[in-house]
Amino acid sequence: MNRMALLLGVAFGFGLGAARLNDYDVIHNMLLLREPDVFLLMGSAMAIALPALWLLERRAWQTPGRGVMRLVRSRVERKHIFGSAVFGAGWAITGACPGTALAMPAAGVALGLPVVAGIVLGQVLREHMARAAARDLSSRHRSVEMHVIR
Amino acid sequence: MIVLPDRVPWFLIGPLMGVVVVLVYALLNKRLGVSGSYTQVRMLVLGRAAVEPWRVWFLVGILGGAILTTLLRGGAIAGTDYGALGRLLPVGLVVPILLVGGTLIGFGTRWAEGCTSGHGLAGIPSRSPASFAAAATFFATAVAVTFLVHFATGGAL
Repeated sequence: MNRMALLLGVAFGFGLGAARLNDYDVIHNMLLLREPDVFLLMGSAMAIALPALWLLERRAWQTPGRGVMRLVRSRVERKHIFGSAVFGAGWAITGACPGTALAMPAAGVALGLPVVAGIVLGQVLREHMARAAARDLSSRHRSVEMHVIR
Repeated sequence: MIVLPDRVPWFLIGPLMGVVVVLVYALLNKRLGVSGSYTQVRMLVLGRAAVEPWRVWFLVGILGGAILTTLLRGGAIAGTDYGALGRLLPVGLVVPILLVGGTLIGFGTRWAEGCTSGHGLAGIPSRSPASFAAAATFFATAVAVTFLVHFATGGAL
């Protein structure tokens, strides 16, 4: 499984670099709606994956050693909207997303490193906030329980 | 030696990425996603066992694949270029901007549980309502903020 993941990662990283998605100008021009290339790239990827996955799911595709293929599907929650809005702002500012940020230093773009460092920092911050919120919630629950007991 | 063109057209790379999304599902029974790989690498670095070691290998592969494209273009010299943003502002200002922007990316993708790859490339073909909503939101926000930056800089960006 790990060797397969490595090979698929190489193919993915090759695509990011080959299409120059690790170039600020390419992503910036896309988000300024100046050129359709990256939209067409993502669209054609989805246009191939969507029917293929649909067919595999319908046929109950047996993955090698990992059971019947299951597509990850979830209902919309607030976190998907709020989180994606924050991500979109970061995407616009840096012209990078988690994948292309990795491909930046790989192309000698040293300034990809502060983007990668920021992504790690942001993830840690989010996890801390989520944990603090969970603690807060559970302590509030406890005080409500105490109140009920009294 | 330069084997790879400066920019390989979308109609070659798009289908390649689509096939990778399908193979990650068909062979690993997982949704492809890069932001989740960051989390797994961090676990490993902190000395905790990675819950999903395949994601670590996937991330290593991405680095390898991207380095391969650089080599096929005759190599690159590390520099402080950063496109139009790097031409407009001094490096001392670009670094903190990128750090803040990166923090928003990390915070947002962790919150939304996915990024351009997880919710976009893989999530939409999975026909996941959450991914449709997430992708619509990050595309709309990114275009809006980019135009804001464009007008705020008098069209320089």
